[in-house]
Amino acid sequence: MTKRIIVYIILGVMSILLQKFLDNFASLGSVAPQLVILFVIYISLREGQLFGVTGGFIAGLANDMLVTHFIGFTCFVGVLAGFISGFFYRESEVDLAARTLNFAWISAVTLFLTELIALPIVAAGELNYFYVFLKFTIGTTVYTSVFAMIIVFVNGKKNRYV
Amino acid sequence: MFTWISEFFSLAKNYIIFALLLAISLFMISANDNNYTKGLQAAGLVTTAYLETGVQHIVDYFLLSSRNKELLKENARLIDLAAQTHLALDENEQLRQMLNLKSHSTTPLVPGSVVGRSSDGGRNFLTLDIGSDDGVHVGDPVVNGSGLVGIVSSVSGRFSLVRTLLDADSRIAARLVNATADGLIEAGSYGELKMSNVARRHDVKKGDIVETSTLSSLVPPGIVIGIVSRATDKPGNIFKEITVQPAVDFSSIFAAFVMQYKPPTAAATLEKEAIGKK
Repeated sequence: MTKRIIVYIILGVMSILLQKFLDNFASLGSVAPQLVILFVIYISLREGQLFGVTGGFIAGLANDMLVTHFIGFTCFVGVLAGFISGFFYRESEVDLAARTLNFAWISAVTLFLTELIALPIVAAGELNYFYVFLKFTIGTTVYTSVFAMIIVFVNGKKNRYV
Repeated sequence: MFTWISEFFSLAKNYIIFALLLAISLFMISANDNNYTKGLQAAGLVTTAYLETGVQHIVDYFLLSSRNKELLKENARLIDLAAQTHLALDENEQLRQMLNLKSHSTTPLVPGSVVGRSSDGGRNFLTLDIGSDDGVHVGDPVVNGSGLVGIVSSVSGRFSLVRTLLDADSRIAARLVNATADGLIEAGSYGELKMSNVARRHDVKKGDIVETSTLSSLVPPGIVIGIVSRATDKPGNIFKEITVQPAVDFSSIFAAFVMQYKPPTAAATLEKEAIGKK
């Protein structure tokens, strides 16, 4: 378990650093892929809901400190993502959820729900909620899901795309 | 009571921790202006700054490598440019000398550019972009601002082939200006010329000027051929061995004049008359 935690810490640090890079160079109209949230979903699918929620909080806090500089927001989204994706955790079918195309659609559903719940925070002060919904909720979900599919194709079990 | 609480916690721990962390997150969002939160932000900014500086160093390292390549390329381009400038200066100098020559020459001069060179097996020719259409004839002398280049050996409508002084078959009557001695200039070794048929009694020194002779029926007299670089007497040889450094730099010649020279016919007529009287 300790070894796995070390691997997750390394993965988490890498995803935050990559997130920083993507925010600077790959954001489309201030919409960037949420790699940290993908990481939270991944650990939640591999280790369960509690691990996902705690990991989401820690990774989110680190991301807020290092990337967004808006303390609490990614924590909030991370905790939600860990919690929602935790419902898809199956102890006996870890690889099936985390390393097949299931990961992509679970990520899409989780991201949509978390971004939807976080919409009031994102849209604070905005009059046009629908615009913010389209741009951030849908935009982030689609953009991040594309990355989720890339991760599946790079890291996934090639013969088990379900 | 305690058991009930313990069972409840074990059943609902995910929800409890989720609710707790969610509440903390919301609290932190609402307290973004709080001093503690600002402390976290500051710590994050400092860490990010360090990370970005580190990344920048790495990026700079790779950029330096590519910048170094760009500078090397730029250096090569500048060297090429300097070489071209040097060639242009040489060409300019030659053209200035030729212009000076043209203003002083009484013989009509046809200017031409060197469009080809061939030097192989003792042969040494230049190709000029002027030919019979421009009034060039076989046997016309060719000069540039420095001195005699050679003699036109063949002509087409638009081009002419010049046998230079360095060609093995080139023979030009020449004169040592200081020693007032005549001889024959022909190709020597290592890009030099040799002057033959100069008697040992003549006082020839290094640096003496060699020019075309009045005895030549091919070229007008007084055109510089070169300067003496070495003059020696060998036992048993009635002639001096003279090496001449050509005035013309044949390796960098860009342009030349063809002289439309017609040798004076009076002397030849007199000679013929004298022979006829005998």
